[in-house]
Amino acid sequence: MAEDGSVAELGGADGKRPGRRAAVRFAQRLADTPELGIIGAVGVAFAIFASINPLFASGSELQNLGVDLAEFGILAIGESFAIITGGIDLGIGSLTALMVVMSAWLNHTAQLPVLLAFLVAVLMGAAVGLWHGLWITRLGIAPFIITLVTFIGAAGADEAIAQTPVQISSPTFLAVAGSTVAGVPVPVVIFAVIALLAWFFLERTYLGRQVYAVGGNREAARLAGIPTNRRIILAYVVSGSCAAVVGIIFASQLTSGTADSTTGYELIAIASAVIGGVSLAGGQGRIVGVVAGAALLVVLEQGLVAVNVNAYYQSMVVAFVLLVAVVADRLRVRRLERTGVRVRTPRPPDEAAESANPPGVVSGTP
Amino acid sequence: MASVSPSSTDSTADTGGDLVLAGVRKLYGPAVVLDVDHLVMRRGEVVGLVGENGAGKSTMMGVVAGAVAPDAGTVSIAGELLGSGGTLHAQELGVAMVSQEFPLVGQLSVAENLLLGRRPSERRFLIDGRAMDAVARELLGAVGLQIDTRRRVDSLSVAQRQLIEIAKALGRDPLVLILDEPTSALGPAESDRVLDFARRHARGGGIVIFVGHRLNEVRAVADRVVVLRNGVLVSDLTPAEATEQRIVRDMVGKDLLPEGDIAASGDGEALAFEARALEAEGLGPLDLALRPGEVVGVAGLMGSGRSRLLHVVMGARASTRGEMRLAGARYRPRSPADGSAAGVGLVPEDRKTQSLLVDAPIRWNVTLAILRRISWKHLILASRTERREAAAIVRRVRVRCQTAEQPARSLSGGNQQRMIFGRWMAARPRLLLLDEPTRGVDVGAKAEIYKLIEEARKEGMAILVASSELEELAGICHRIVVLRRGRIAAEFERSEFSKERIIAAAAIDGAAT
Repeated sequence: MAEDGSVAELGGADGKRPGRRAAVRFAQRLADTPELGIIGAVGVAFAIFASINPLFASGSELQNLGVDLAEFGILAIGESFAIITGGIDLGIGSLTALMVVMSAWLNHTAQLPVLLAFLVAVLMGAAVGLWHGLWITRLGIAPFIITLVTFIGAAGADEAIAQTPVQISSPTFLAVAGSTVAGVPVPVVIFAVIALLAWFFLERTYLGRQVYAVGGNREAARLAGIPTNRRIILAYVVSGSCAAVVGIIFASQLTSGTADSTTGYELIAIASAVIGGVSLAGGQGRIVGVVAGAALLVVLEQGLVAVNVNAYYQSMVVAFVLLVAVVADRLRVRRLERTGVRVRTPRPPDEAAESANPPGVVSGTP
Repeated sequence: MASVSPSSTDSTADTGGDLVLAGVRKLYGPAVVLDVDHLVMRRGEVVGLVGENGAGKSTMMGVVAGAVAPDAGTVSIAGELLGSGGTLHAQELGVAMVSQEFPLVGQLSVAENLLLGRRPSERRFLIDGRAMDAVARELLGAVGLQIDTRRRVDSLSVAQRQLIEIAKALGRDPLVLILDEPTSALGPAESDRVLDFARRHARGGGIVIFVGHRLNEVRAVADRVVVLRNGVLVSDLTPAEATEQRIVRDMVGKDLLPEGDIAASGDGEALAFEARALEAEGLGPLDLALRPGEVVGVAGLMGSGRSRLLHVVMGARASTRGEMRLAGARYRPRSPADGSAAGVGLVPEDRKTQSLLVDAPIRWNVTLAILRRISWKHLILASRTERREAAAIVRRVRVRCQTAEQPARSLSGGNQQRMIFGRWMAARPRLLLLDEPTRGVDVGAKAEIYKLIEEARKEGMAILVASSELEELAGICHRIVVLRRGRIAAEFERSEFSKERIIAAAAIDGAAT
């Protein structure tokens, strides 16, 4: 109640108290960037693991960490696009697995030049995204369901095609996961480029803003003149393409198109996004957070291995982190709703009338 | 209760009447929304209840149904006092209400819906399908509906659902049956069936409260017509007295319209918007034309097609026939994106579901319709440009906030609505469509919104306003068109504004001007 009083004062005094205003601005800055907490957590976790096992911070270990982060990070970015529109993409894990086999097959069996094979694979991933988007927008199928179809179907197709693994012989293909640029693994470079593009698109172009708007309130976005269907389709195309890119990196890492299932990775991608502050309700979340979320999960996973924690406990730790992230997010939102920067018009009677009157009752006294 | 002096009806011992309202008052804040001294309804009667929007009809029904607790006074049903605040108690006393919304469960079958919360037989846990079916069919028969009881409710038409809702209420074997605009979604044949049913229910010893907007229906069905105005019972008419003219006069009271004058619209020769023989599902054919700087009101009852008209013009609903022109150019929107690109803007009726991004900052909300225009090379949304535009919009429509970065949810209703106005005024449309522009905002905020409309008009926008409040339309419009069942029933210039005539045109089938 005391809080309420001070808030009302804020609204009434036109913000004439500099201290208060600075505090409000700071609180807002924090509220705007809840990602800071995650980034901090990544740093702390890394420091703890490195202090227990100094090898964890060694160059080769960092490179491994980087490749893992690239793979999960790219998937998480794709997934975030779908989630930001208010949907979900359950298909990306299976799709990645399928693209592992497909990219190897395109290059080895179909004899396409490596880069062309990559391009075709990414286009195929995009096509799957388009397929999802069309069902979702044209027929109103729930994203959960139509991507579940892919989840099951792509996993099956993957097994069917790769009954015998397709060996990858092209050195260019193998170089994707195996080489470094100035000590930085190529997948990390790819990841950085994709993350930058995604950030730029979502936060610096009007199209990105429209994607957020569609997730925030689809009907409002539509009535505001935004082509909502196209934005939704675009999000799934990005998601599918990202899965294909990760498939290529995986194939290169495995040196063959093996039906080594990455099914289940979609859940880790979703977890990364949620830990990074992407709201499952849609319309909220930033790439910085998604990258940090993926980094936290990868650091935890690798770090727990480095300090010899049993694999069973690893999953439990991940689950715990996810829980903490979700709860912290809810608490933050609730605090914002309750005390946040709420402006009260300095006319309490009107406000009372406004909330209590059914519409039209006051029409007699204009 | 005994101290209250009877007003219009004779009082042969209060308990003799079967539904008695005595000294019932309801206040919302300082506003008195219902003040009924004494009203008796007897078994065997169909009582028509009429009044304008906000006259207190809904509150009165809510009081009888136990959903609204009166601040003073009592309701007694068949001699028993209705306990404070309880729809359950009201149900026990035999009150059933059929309201405008359809609280049916779409995924369940017709039979399941009809028997929701009741058991048709003695079986305790298992569902007795056959007994359920038999009861359901009997109830459907009573409202004259012949459909398969196993069909899912969401596969039925609006009219069929309305009849099922009535059958469901009937299943509780009510003494008092409240029908709240039961025919607004129905065609003439189904409406007749409902009226017929209401009469039969009364003849069988029940009380029917029939709330209607279509006066010919009310007259046809009611044994008495009770008129509310500003929460007060102004007349209680016998069928002979209850001519449509009389009812309208009592509803309206003193004709206030129009007050003051507004500057003449820009008498440009060119039309800003024109529709010819425009048709859409449940709308038209209709003709409509607006000049730049002209404000045209759209009046009509609920379900007459007001919102629908605006949505068709915006492109949010498909038109099936006819032609539209914007500033002379052919205009055929296939989505609101087309409408927006062609220079049409819509401030929708329901902020929460149709206009706000509640969790996003005000800045996002106000720049939503101009994102492309303010982007560099029509692609890159520079943060500084956007902040500047947002600040200008917020200032222009006078949104009271600390910063444009606070979430839209932190604003009051009036501020939110001005914010949405800002969104569209920034887009500088040729034609601005306003759907209930002051719904759910307080009196002060209303005045500010009227000022914004005036400003938009002065900038040369043509403005089409749909509203259920006639005072509002009379205050701001050059011209009012009245819709009835999707067509334009009448059109009034400002000098001809009369609440009585507008209501008559909207509510009386076959009335002409």
